[in-house]
Parts: sequence; C-alpha cells; structure tokens
Amino acid sequence: MPLEPKTNKEILLNGLLNENPIFRLALSMCPAVGISTNVMNGILMGIAVLFVQIASSLTITLLKNYIHPRIRIPTYTLTIATWVTVTDLVLAAYFPVAYKSLGIFVRLIVVFCFITCRLDVFARKNAVFPTFVDALGMGLGFMVGMMAIGGVRELLGMGTLLGYDLLGFRPMLFFVLPASGFFVVGFMMVIFNYTETVYNRRRRRRKSS
Amino acid sequence: MKEIIKITIGLTLTCMIAAFIMGGVFAITAKAKKHNAYLNFQETMFSMLGYEKDQTPTDLELLSVYRYIITTDQGQSIGYVVPLKQGYAFIMIDLQGRFIAQHQLDLDQVRVREEQDRAAVIDKALNHPLKIIYADRFIVARQNGQRSAYLLPGKTPGFKTFIHFMVSMSPDYKIAALEIIEHQEDPGLGAEITEKYFKHQFIGKQIEQIRSLKVIKEPLPDEYRVYLNNLTPENQTAKYVGEDIYAISGATISSVAVANGVQNAMKKFAYRLKVLNAVIATQKIVVGF
Repeated sequence: MPLEPKTNKEILLNGLLNENPIFRLALSMCPAVGISTNVMNGILMGIAVLFVQIASSLTITLLKNYIHPRIRIPTYTLTIATWVTVTDLVLAAYFPVAYKSLGIFVRLIVVFCFITCRLDVFARKNAVFPTFVDALGMGLGFMVGMMAIGGVRELLGMGTLLGYDLLGFRPMLFFVLPASGFFVVGFMMVIFNYTETVYNRRRRRRKSS
Repeated sequence: MKEIIKITIGLTLTCMIAAFIMGGVFAITAKAKKHNAYLNFQETMFSMLGYEKDQTPTDLELLSVYRYIITTDQGQSIGYVVPLKQGYAFIMIDLQGRFIAQHQLDLDQVRVREEQDRAAVIDKALNHPLKIIYADRFIVARQNGQRSAYLLPGKTPGFKTFIHFMVSMSPDYKIAALEIIEHQEDPGLGAEITEKYFKHQFIGKQIEQIRSLKVIKEPLPDEYRVYLNNLTPENQTAKYVGEDIYAISGATISSVAVANGVQNAMKKFAYRLKVLNAVIATQKIVVGF
C-alpha cells in the first residue's frame, strides 16, 4: 500500500499516476470508452472535467461543516449538477465559440463518478488548498488518460493525430468503434501496472543492496 | 425521529439553493443564449448561400414561412404564417389544397421568431378555439426583388438520435448546399456525414433525381473524392451529377438516413410550395417573399 500522500506535489502526482481516474481507479469508464476516439475530444473533455472538478471540490470543502453526513452523496450530485448547468448556460450565452466545441462534453459530466469519488474521499476531509491541488491533479490525470487513449485510437483507427494526416491511410478502422475502447483501456492498464511492478521491484532491490 | 426531520430539512434546503442558483443563472443568460442561437443559425444560412460573415449583400432578405397543422372537428387543415409586403398573415389551406381563410396577424420582425408569441397571436386572430401545432418552417432568400434560393431545415432519424440538417436550393429546386447542423453519430464513422466528400455529393442534384435517389455501398472512386473535396460554386461540373450517393464505409445507416431525410424534406417541400403558390396566386395575396 502506498503511504497517504502528504505534500502538495505528492497530491498532484497522486491524481496523475497512483490514482489516475481511468487507469488506476477505473472510474468514469463510459466517457473513456465512448468519447476517446481522437486526441481533440480528450483535450476538450479534459478541460471541461478539470473545471467542474475544481469548482465542485472547492464548493464541498468550503461547505463541509454544514453537510449532514447521511445526505452527503445527494449533496455532491446536486453540487456537480449545479456547476455543470451553470457552466453550460454561461458558455452558451457569453462564449458561443467555446460552446460550439465544448458544449456536448460539459453536459455529459453530471454522470462522472470519479468527481463524486474525489468529493467524498478528499474534499470532505481536507483543507481548501490541498483540495484544490487534488482536484487539479485528478482533472489533469483524467485529461492525460483520455488523450493517451484518444491518441492510440486516432492513430490506429484514422491514421491521423489531432486531425493531421500522419499515415495517409487507415490501419484499423476497428479502433474507432466503441468496442475497441475497452481493449485500449485494458492494454493501457497493463502498461501502467507493469511499469509500477518494475519500479517497485527496482526500488526494493536498491534498498536491500 | 428528530434525525430524520433534520435530514429532510437539510436535503430540501440543499435542493432549493441549487434550484435558485440554476434558475438565477438561467434567467440572466437566457436572452443572450437565444440571441447566440439565432446568430448562429443566421450565419449558417448566409454561409450556405455562399456569403462570408460580414460580407452579406444589403439587398439580401431571408424570410421565414412557418407551417402549422390545424385540427378541428371536421378534420385537419394546414396553416402558413407568411410575411406580407407589410406585416404578416395566416393562410389556411385544406388538405386538398383549397383556400379556406386568411387572417391578418399582429406580428413584427422580432416577435415572429418566437414560437410562443406566434402561437398566441394566431390564437387571437382566429378568435375561436382550434388546435394548432407548429410543424416546420422554410426560408426564402430574396435578392433584387426576386426569389434567389430556398433554405429548408429538416431532421431525420440517424444511427442514435436525430440528425438535423439544412438544404439550400435554387428556385428550380436544384440543391446548392447541404449542411449538417447537429448530430450525435459515432466519431470516425457516422460523424463523417459532416465531411465534404459526403455532403458535396448532393450538390447539383435536381428534384427529379432526388425523388429516385439511391445510396450505393461501393467505395468512392478516388477521382470523384478529389473533386468533392475541392468543390466550390465556381468549379462545379455536370460530369458527376448523375452519380448515386456513395455510402460512407462503416456508416451505411447514417448515410442512408441523411439521403432519405433530404429526399423526404425536398419532396414534401416542393409539393407544399406548389400548393401555397397556387393559393397565393388565385387569392391575389400580396406576399413579401
């Protein structure tokens, strides 16, 4: 078991590596599988999630003393829903250009379980600044994960990256289909776990020698 | 018992606060949001007529005609909200294409856009309880005092949800542009309907051809693909006009959906406009479109 993270840097890296929402916590798999067909989707979804995660985490950490523990989950859902709705409306009204590309992603966020998870696991028990760092790390971890999956799927399925034609042909159209998302996520988890095993083994060896 | 009351009150309060925040934001942003949607739609229409943003000719007018379905005890009839030279009128036509009645409407350019305002004014003008349902609309573009194009928004059931599209055609029903406005098809597959090589296949096709439009499951020839990707109003040739629609590989359902949608929308539109034009001519109504 890894030790409970202490410093802000450790909290930030925790979201990116140790508890990466997609590869380690395996939460919010629907968007990871459904939307990650190209890198751009990953980036846009990541931005939307990052914003909602930070906003909801800060709201909950500020209100944590007033929330009755028995109704905390409905409260989290309401908080996220409120932030998503507010973001959606404000974007549509004042940033029509951003809304065109981000709009559909923002509306999806209400059902993201890892945001609820971070609110319950972290924001409820910690002070404002560490909560902010945790939300930032989790949001970035999600974004990086989505971009990684999107990159593999876009390159193998369409032969492009970020819309630029790299290969000139489509190696395997299968990778664009929803089912391939499961395969890509699975293989990425394998890579993540394997890297961690190797890293721990080396560290143990270094310690013993 | 005390605990449960506390929880109930807490949850109710939370919900009310959330509702107030959301409602407040909605009230503040609703107007701007609607305006943006309107501008967006306007921009799409101009771009489909071949004009860049801010470069629209001043004598170009876009006039909407709204179609309603009226249900009475005797059966159904059709109503059109049409712009006159001055003001607006509601023309009622029965299903055989015969004129029933005409009512003056107290509407202006801004209010005619609002569905609720229109419905209220029509209700008042008719002065007796009829059930009217808003069906759809089409837009007539006028330039130099004559009709230069028709814009026809439509929707069609796609692979997952409705695909919203818009067709622009010349006054003799030849497709000038097809635009996919909103869709939720799969990226890389159905979402390819927004690509030029698919959309541009419809350009230049006449209504007679659209009536017997076929979607074929064959790979798009390379030469045709290059032509479609570089198609502009200037370099159109008649060489490919007779081609069927080539389905997108891996997305036949979406391709067929769009083709059927365009076919249906245009067939019905051509018939309806013929009826409406005939009624306007025989009743000597001075319309603004």
